[in-house]
Amino acid sequence: MKWLQKLITWARIKSPWVIHFNTGACNACDIEIVAALTPRFDIERFGILLKGTPRHADVLLCSGPVTRQIQDRLVRIYEQMPEPKFVVAVGTCACSGGVFQGCYNVKGGIDAVLPVSAYIPGCPARPEAIIDGVVKLLSSLDPKPAATLPETTTTAKST
Amino acid sequence: MILSLFNLLIFPGFLFLSLFGLAMEFVDRKLYARMQNRIGPPWFQPFADFIKLAAKEEIIPEEADPVMFRLMPVFALTAVVTAFFYIPLWGTHSLFAFNGDLIVVIYLLTLPTLAFFLAGWHSTSLFAMIGATRTLTQLFAYEVPLFMAVLAPALLAGTWSLSEMTVFYQVHPAYAGFNIIGFIVALIAIQGKLERVPFDIPEAETEIVGGTFTEYSGRLLAMFRMAIDIEAVVCASLVAAVFLPFGFGLGPAWGFVIYVFKVLIIIALLALLRTVLARLRIEQMTIFCWKVVAPAALLQLLINLILSGVL
Repeated sequence: MKWLQKLITWARIKSPWVIHFNTGACNACDIEIVAALTPRFDIERFGILLKGTPRHADVLLCSGPVTRQIQDRLVRIYEQMPEPKFVVAVGTCACSGGVFQGCYNVKGGIDAVLPVSAYIPGCPARPEAIIDGVVKLLSSLDPKPAATLPETTTTAKST
Repeated sequence: MILSLFNLLIFPGFLFLSLFGLAMEFVDRKLYARMQNRIGPPWFQPFADFIKLAAKEEIIPEEADPVMFRLMPVFALTAVVTAFFYIPLWGTHSLFAFNGDLIVVIYLLTLPTLAFFLAGWHSTSLFAMIGATRTLTQLFAYEVPLFMAVLAPALLAGTWSLSEMTVFYQVHPAYAGFNIIGFIVALIAIQGKLERVPFDIPEAETEIVGGTFTEYSGRLLAMFRMAIDIEAVVCASLVAAVFLPFGFGLGPAWGFVIYVFKVLIIIALLALLRTVLARLRIEQMTIFCWKVVAPAALLQLLINLILSGVL
C-alpha cells in the first residue's frame, strides 16, 4: 500500500484548498492575501483554491495576533476542518504577536492557541511570500525534498 | 451478462464517464483561466482534487440526519450515470432505448438537483438550508424552458425516443438547423442546472459560504463533485445528441472522435458563458428565465409545430 500513500501525498501537495480567517489583523495582511488570490498571481497554477467553508479547506490562513475575543472562534473554525489540516500564520503579528505582544487584549501569535505549520513573516507579508509559504508547507509533506528545503522567508515545521 | 456489466461499469459506463467528467472539468477550468489571462491549473488538477478529497476525514454534523447525509451523494451520482445510458453517443442507437426515454433522461437529470436540495436540507446548517431552498427555487425557473427546448426537436421528429430522433435527423440533417433557438435555450438552462456562473446562486461562496455543500467534507464531497462533473458531460451529450445530430453514420471510431469534439464545443460554450457573465440575484434569475428564456422555448415549440405540419 506504499504506492497508495504516495499517491495521496502527491494529491495533497497538488491540491491545497485554503480558507482565510482574520484573527485580529489591521487588514494589511488580509489585503495581501486577497491580492495573492487575484489573476495576476494565478495560484490555481498550484491547485490552490479559496474556499468559503472550513469543511472543504486544507489550509487555514490566519492573519493577525489572536485577540481574546477571537480566540474561541478561531479554535472553533479549526475544529470544523477535516483532517489532515494545516495552519499558516501570515504576517509578523500572526507569527509572534508583533507589536501587540503583551497587550491586555491579545493572547500572542497564532501558536499560542493552535499548532502552526508555517510562519510567513512580513508587515504585511507579500503575496509572493504567502504563495511561497503555502507551497513550501505542502512540499514538506513529501519526505524527499524536505531535506533540501532552502531556508528563505519561511520555516516549515511538522505538526 | 458480462458484456452488460462491462458496459455498465467500464465502457461507456461508470469508469469511462468518471475519467471523461474529470477531463472535461480540466478543459472547463483551463479555458476559464485562459480567458481571464491566467495560466490555469495543470492537466491532473481535477484528479488530484478528487484523490485528496477521497483521502480526507469526513465529518458528519451532530444535528444532520446521518443516513440522508451519506445517501444523497450516491443518489446524485447514480442518477446521472444512469441517464447516460439512454443517450445516443457515437451511433444512432444508445445502449438502452425505449419509446419515451427522452422524458426519462430529463427526469434523471433533475434527480441530482433534488439530491442537492435534500443534502442541504438534512445538513441542518443555516447556510446549507439557504442554499437548498435557492437550489429548488432555481430548479423551477430553468427546468420548464429546458423541457420545452428539448421536446421541440422531438416534436419535429415525431418520436419520444432519443435513438429514433437521431435516426430521423440522420435522414434529414437540414432540419436540425430549425432548432437553433432551442439550442441556445438549452445551453442557458444547463448553465442553471450545473449551478455555474451566472446561475451559481445556490452555492454563492461570497454570500452563503458554500451553499448546499457547506457541511460536506472528504469522500462525500468528492462524490458530489464527481456527480456534478458527470452531470456536465451527460448534459453536454444530451444537447449534442438532440441539437447537433451529425456524424453518426461514420462507424464507431470516427463517431467517437466526433462525439468528443461535440462535447468539447458545448463545454467551451458553457465556459465562455461562465467567463463573460457575473452572478445574478435569485429574483433576477427567475424573472430572466420566465420572461425571456421560457417564451423563447415556446417560440421554438411553435416553430416546430408549424414545421411538422408544413414539411
